Amino acid sequence: MTKISHDKVEVVIIGSGIAGSTMAAELGEAGFAVLVLEAGPERQLSDMISSQIWSRRLRWAGPEVRESGDLVGAANFAMGWGTGGAGLHWYANWYRLHPDDFHVKSLYGRSLDWPIDYEDLRPWYDRAQFYFGVSGDEDTNAPPGEAYPMPAISISKQSQAIKPGFEAEGLKLTTNTLAVNSVPYDGRLGCLLDGWCDAGCPIGALANPLVLQWPRARKAGVDLRHNAYVARIETDPAGSKATAVLYVDEQGRENLQPAEIVISACHTIWNTRLLMLSASDKHPNGLGNGSKTLGRYFTSHALTTIHGLFSQETEPHLGVSGANTLCLDGYDDKQPAKDTFGSRAWLVGQAAKPNDLLGIALAKPELRGEALDAYLRQASLHYGNMTVLCEEDSIPENRVTLDPSKKDRYGLPQAHVQNSLPQANASRSDLARAEGLRIFNAVGVTDAWAGPRNPMHMMGGTIMGDDASASVTNSYGQVHEIDNLFVAGASLFPTPGAINPTATLAALVFRTADYIRTHRSELLP
Amino acid sequence: MMGRRRFLTRVIPTTFWANIVMRSLSINAEAKTVENTSYKVLTAAEVETLAAWCAAIVSGADQAGVARFVDENLAGDQATSLLLLRYLDASDMAGFYRNGILGIEKECMHRFGLSFARADAGKQLELVEAAIASKMQVWTDPDPSFFYFISRSDAVDVVYGTQAGFADLNIPYLAHIPPPRPW
Repeated sequence: MTKISHDKVEVVIIGSGIAGSTMAAELGEAGFAVLVLEAGPERQLSDMISSQIWSRRLRWAGPEVRESGDLVGAANFAMGWGTGGAGLHWYANWYRLHPDDFHVKSLYGRSLDWPIDYEDLRPWYDRAQFYFGVSGDEDTNAPPGEAYPMPAISISKQSQAIKPGFEAEGLKLTTNTLAVNSVPYDGRLGCLLDGWCDAGCPIGALANPLVLQWPRARKAGVDLRHNAYVARIETDPAGSKATAVLYVDEQGRENLQPAEIVISACHTIWNTRLLMLSASDKHPNGLGNGSKTLGRYFTSHALTTIHGLFSQETEPHLGVSGANTLCLDGYDDKQPAKDTFGSRAWLVGQAAKPNDLLGIALAKPELRGEALDAYLRQASLHYGNMTVLCEEDSIPENRVTLDPSKKDRYGLPQAHVQNSLPQANASRSDLARAEGLRIFNAVGVTDAWAGPRNPMHMMGGTIMGDDASASVTNSYGQVHEIDNLFVAGASLFPTPGAINPTATLAALVFRTADYIRTHRSELLP
Repeated sequence: MMGRRRFLTRVIPTTFWANIVMRSLSINAEAKTVENTSYKVLTAAEVETLAAWCAAIVSGADQAGVARFVDENLAGDQATSLLLLRYLDASDMAGFYRNGILGIEKECMHRFGLSFARADAGKQLELVEAAIASKMQVWTDPDPSFFYFISRSDAVDVVYGTQAGFADLNIPYLAHIPPPRPW
């Protein structure tokens, strides 16, 4: 097939989500000529329709992923498709990994260590929270850093109803930290607390790429090409330099886009898969896979949601989709009981609508007919919830691979994710579940129940490390053996902690962009 | 960026919306009877079974148009689909529904010797409960409990997940951008 060849650019970035768009804006503003390739269609603010039904169009519509193991599912729910990627429907929970999360192997003899520590990332966390606009109050259980630029969002009726339960358990419930404006900030409006975050925030109170990164990137001259599905990264005959990316356009034509610097900024699974798909004579097992760790150490967070019906009205439809309040009390105790392991964090008082995966109706999937109707009428006024995220150990058996027996719509091997929760983490999750039920029962709910354990977030697969024989990239996301190829995104995380990953992802992007900026002369011939 | 909140559902009395909703549902139900031949993917028999199945799970789902909701969204591509199934298994969404509907019919025939839509409420309930428990005698693929989960979600979408559904539950809709249609 004849390829369409394009003029060489200085930087090509694959993916236009939070990692890709932030990187594009940073490098564009630093004077690089940047092109971003996005697999999905162009998105506008008008696509952010306030409906759990209509918002499904923002979700992943690329090739299917095969999933196996006991902590997988709903990958398509988590990923985005089109300008801004998952950044158009993320929940904006904004947390820093704790210092111990960077040294789990050294401290506990399990999982992995990062090649950097908290102090290395701290200034980039600080920068990121001003860039995105984060609302939050000081929390003594959170790692140190600059004060947030906006005060926290006020406590909701849901949180007010739940808070005494935390107090009864001896735990401190605090306001949440969110990349959502509690007041007008940086030219964007304050949040109306209408609870439609995961359908997209067209008013821009929730920091999303359409209102934050893309205006900056476009102003800096960054080019964005949609419907460009990248199938391969080409390398030179020596295998030491990325030379171009090959992508398939909307008409199914192959396009060759040469570049001096290539940055893969896709969702976790697709960063990993792309490096695997780019195998060559010099890299027979995929780029950056001299260590044979490419795809390995995939992690998630083990999530359990506690649901309850309260005697008082809770206005569950109001607030933010992420969480209104937070409990990090006890987070740093990774061994709370014998044979258990991992941190945990409580995200409390998520806004809930009647339908969709996280809706009120599916909280009781067994109900039907009149019982369902009666429940929904009560729950619409009295429902409350909270979700616990528990840490998963990084183990090599949990991994992304290619399945050559199954081809996607582009004729490429399908991605296969295998992820099973190690027993000590499962036991930790069980402890948290019991804790959550005690908290709800302590406030006299008329009904309290726990949902099933589910995965949330996807990390690892192209882990960073100092040792090229045990990792895929260095701490800047620079792929071992290929200096002009970088990875950005949560696939770099050696360990996941027990908090939402986007603040760390963003801090790493700023750190990598700074590295590229300050090593410009070495990276651009 | 959009600069104004849509206040309509907050300031207009619920009874106003409820009246519109009920009239709309009634009109829609009549229209759908006339339009019964215009389904794009599912056959008339499949539509009848799916509508009856969903109505046995969520009251009013048939009249709210659940079969048309599913059918219209199966006719398009995954990227434009409004079905929750796209989150969980988008590999063959039409096949999933067809096989599920076939499973309902096979199981109902096996147990009662009649189609699901002709079964009385008690028999329908027995079948739905068997699906929830994944205790089917002849229906194996797709997993009956997963098919129940998905079809229940579809039914909840059209009955409770629209602006009309919110109004019926007395939940202020508070849209930033209202949906152009229920689905």
